[in-house]
Amino acid sequence: MKEKKENIDELKKEIVIERLRQAPPTVKIAFGSLNEFMNRDELIEQVEKETDIGKRIVKIQLEYLKSFKRGMLQGE
Amino acid sequence: MASVLFSRPSDDVTLNYLYYYSKELVSVSNSLGHKTINKEKEEANKKIILSVIEKQKPEFIMFNGHGSSEVICGHKQEVIVSAKENPGVLKNAIIYSLSCSSASVLGPVSIENGATSFIGYKFDFALGKDTESEASPKHDKIAKMFLEPSNILVDSLLKGKNVKRSIENAKKKMAENIDYLHTTSNFPEAVYYAPFLFSNYMGLVAHGNQEASIN
Repeated sequence: MKEKKENIDELKKEIVIERLRQAPPTVKIAFGSLNEFMNRDELIEQVEKETDIGKRIVKIQLEYLKSFKRGMLQGE
Repeated sequence: MASVLFSRPSDDVTLNYLYYYSKELVSVSNSLGHKTINKEKEEANKKIILSVIEKQKPEFIMFNGHGSSEVICGHKQEVIVSAKENPGVLKNAIIYSLSCSSASVLGPVSIENGATSFIGYKFDFALGKDTESEASPKHDKIAKMFLEPSNILVDSLLKGKNVKRSIENAKKKMAENIDYLHTTSNFPEAVYYAPFLFSNYMGLVAHGNQEASIN
């Protein structure tokens, strides 16, 4: 069971990394406990290293995709 | 008219953005006739802010700053309010904490210790920026998408709207901005900022009295 869970998490991580890789390198986000803005590659690095910020980025991206699909923000 | 306190440190790039955007709110508060106490830059420290709270007993406090689930910080990341040490200092006040995660633990703890209402973010607050506008955060078209809703929230409170309505106003603007970021063709990177603003949208909450307002 544990192995299955890790595989699912790895898949989610890869989906998010691929999505972030499509972003222009100029994207800049300040997020979490870091004081400075992170660019695209630094965001990807956080996800790859599975830092707390990286885990949160994965969650955000996946929740966003799900909610947007549901049309939640459009009040549908 | 209410007594209003702003804590506005500005000692790194991120805080500088919050500092610039909240400058307008200080002016609004003054123009509305509120007794406005603005502690900015190095004055946004624990000693000064706690002294103002004790003596002036502000009805509304806006904290800009870094933070965590349990603390709100000021200048140079000095902890001003902590869930473990001094949550009672927020007693009888409506709080808006523009910092990371403080609504997840400090928010509920402050209500247990007498705060009227605690508005904040239960997740890390995200802020995007346009790399070309760093010298002028006030004119940064990306940062505006993230900070304009926050200003609408405070503007609503300053104008007497209750906590619930003020959050609704902010979330409405967030939703509009998320939709804009997701659909605009004005700049290609916009869509990649949308999930981060969505995180702010999901994370913005209030604890305590939702009907509370400042007079």
